[in-house]
Amino acid sequence: MSDTAMFAMKQVSKSYGSAYTLHPLNLHISRGELVALIGPSGAGKTTCLNILAGTIEPDAGLLHIAGKPASSYASGKHLAKAVGIIRQQFDLVGSLPVLHNVLAGRLHEWGFGKSLLSFLFPQDKHIAADALNRVGLSDKLYDKTSHLSGGEQQRVALARLLVQQPQAILADEPVASLDPARAEDVLAMLVRLVQEEQLTLVSSLHSVHLARQFFQRIIAIKEGRVFFDLPTADVTEDHITDLYQLTAGHGMDER
Amino acid sequence: MQHIPSATSVRKPHRRFGIVRVSVYMAFLLIIASWIYLFIGEQANLAELFSAKNVRYAVQFLSGLAGVGVDHPAFLDIESWKRALALTYQTLQMSLMAIGFATLGMLLTVIPASRVVAGGTESALLRAWNRIVYGLVRAMYVISRSVPELIWAMMIIFFFKPGLLPGAIALALHNFGILGKLCAEVVEDLDMRPIRNLASSGASKAQILIYGIIPAVLPRFLTYILYRWEVIIRTTIVVGFVGAGGLGHEFKLSMSWFHYTDVTLYLLCYLMLVFAVDLISAGLRRWMQ
Ligand SMILES: Nc1ncnc2c1ncn2[C@@H]1O[C@H](COP(=O)(O)OP(=O)(O)O)[C@@H](O)[C@H]1O
Ligand SMILES: [Mg+2]
Repeated sequence: MSDTAMFAMKQVSKSYGSAYTLHPLNLHISRGELVALIGPSGAGKTTCLNILAGTIEPDAGLLHIAGKPASSYASGKHLAKAVGIIRQQFDLVGSLPVLHNVLAGRLHEWGFGKSLLSFLFPQDKHIAADALNRVGLSDKLYDKTSHLSGGEQQRVALARLLVQQPQAILADEPVASLDPARAEDVLAMLVRLVQEEQLTLVSSLHSVHLARQFFQRIIAIKEGRVFFDLPTADVTEDHITDLYQLTAGHGMDER
Repeated sequence: MQHIPSATSVRKPHRRFGIVRVSVYMAFLLIIASWIYLFIGEQANLAELFSAKNVRYAVQFLSGLAGVGVDHPAFLDIESWKRALALTYQTLQMSLMAIGFATLGMLLTVIPASRVVAGGTESALLRAWNRIVYGLVRAMYVISRSVPELIWAMMIIFFFKPGLLPGAIALALHNFGILGKLCAEVVEDLDMRPIRNLASSGASKAQILIYGIIPAVLPRFLTYILYRWEVIIRTTIVVGFVGAGGLGHEFKLSMSWFHYTDVTLYLLCYLMLVFAVDLISAGLRRWMQ
């Protein structure tokens, strides 16, 4: 089982203060799967992704990443070879050229000396150029990153992931700050690259429509519990209505 | 039940607004009352400002500056110009030393002076130590910037031979506190999202410093440094008055010896210097975007 499992959670839970943010959770995601994580805001999607990424530690339970216990990853450098993360568009250093932001994906391979050298005289430039070419931004190599549009910045973040070469990509609302056309464009590109590289993708999404369009499996989270976990084809309108239905004691902003 | 919280939340801003309004009215009232007091109580007279005596002194001073009736006005003399330009160059050196020292001090202290949310892995002992250092550095900033340059200069002249160095140190001491405060705030306002993302793509602390923190912080540091440099160049003349060298010192001496045409010359050089520094600073800032 552990050979094919990219992520395996056993009774993993997390709470901030008294209430559970994530109730004890079992989850198994195989290599090569495309999984969408949906649910009302505040349901625990980000918390779940951060636990999978190893950036926050669960209170209890066992997590295996790529067949190894999460705690056995000695440093961020090792973890970065297993898991790459993309969030909303504010994850790039705006004052740096696009090239540097893409090459930052190499930092886990580089020592301090090479990083410093590359900051002044970019190293492995062809790798960054190839990656930017694949996301359709080969002409933006030297542009200041903050001058790019939101969609372009997300594509730069994708190029960085290509350079980082993790085994799985965790995406937290990667297209939430883009307009619908741009959102579809960037998500299509993300899914295509993941399939070309034979990676695993887990992405939280605001839009059920996009989840259905691009993902094979949909996991719905509501109030810190798995509400359903189904192949996309089996998800009905009733499931969705129930998922986003307001329950007593919850705010109006949950749609 | 639902109406009670909304009622209090409406009343609160009203009360605060009331205080603001009352203070504004009080301030106006005070200003008007003091003007009335000045005119009626003290019988201040605006016309006195333009009395025959004052006008005569002003005309005398201005024609002195213009060199009326002077055989060899300094501003028409090559040798005087050479001396004045040498002084101008010294003043520029003093300002560069001053901003250099202030920047160095700021760079050495700015990290402990900013409350940056670290990884949270440090021990309680280290946290306590960090808090103490933070308090010390911030106290240093407050003292350093609340003492004006002139006072720093007067104190430092006690220890040093009058000259460029004490002037530069006095200016640096005052500006160290200002730069420190401004730049520590830049570090505190840093957008943590790109930095967290670098960490999750496997960057070490040192790599994050190069790729995440320095590029985000440096342009704003440079803007502040250039701005303080502009202020310093204008203040060189003030610290010069108390013997800290440069144009200001000679300006003061010429004034006290009634060499008015020298004063004119130094003022011209000073204006050129301020203008040049403003141009250079604006150019550098545009170059950085
Ligand atoms: N660092 C934190 N401290 C306290 N509460 C948190 C923290 N992070 C998340 N939460 C709480 O956990 C719940 C789930 O948050 P999150 O995982 O961000 O939900 P989602 O991404 O589905 O919108 C929210 O109620 C949120 O307030
Ligand atoms: Mg979220």
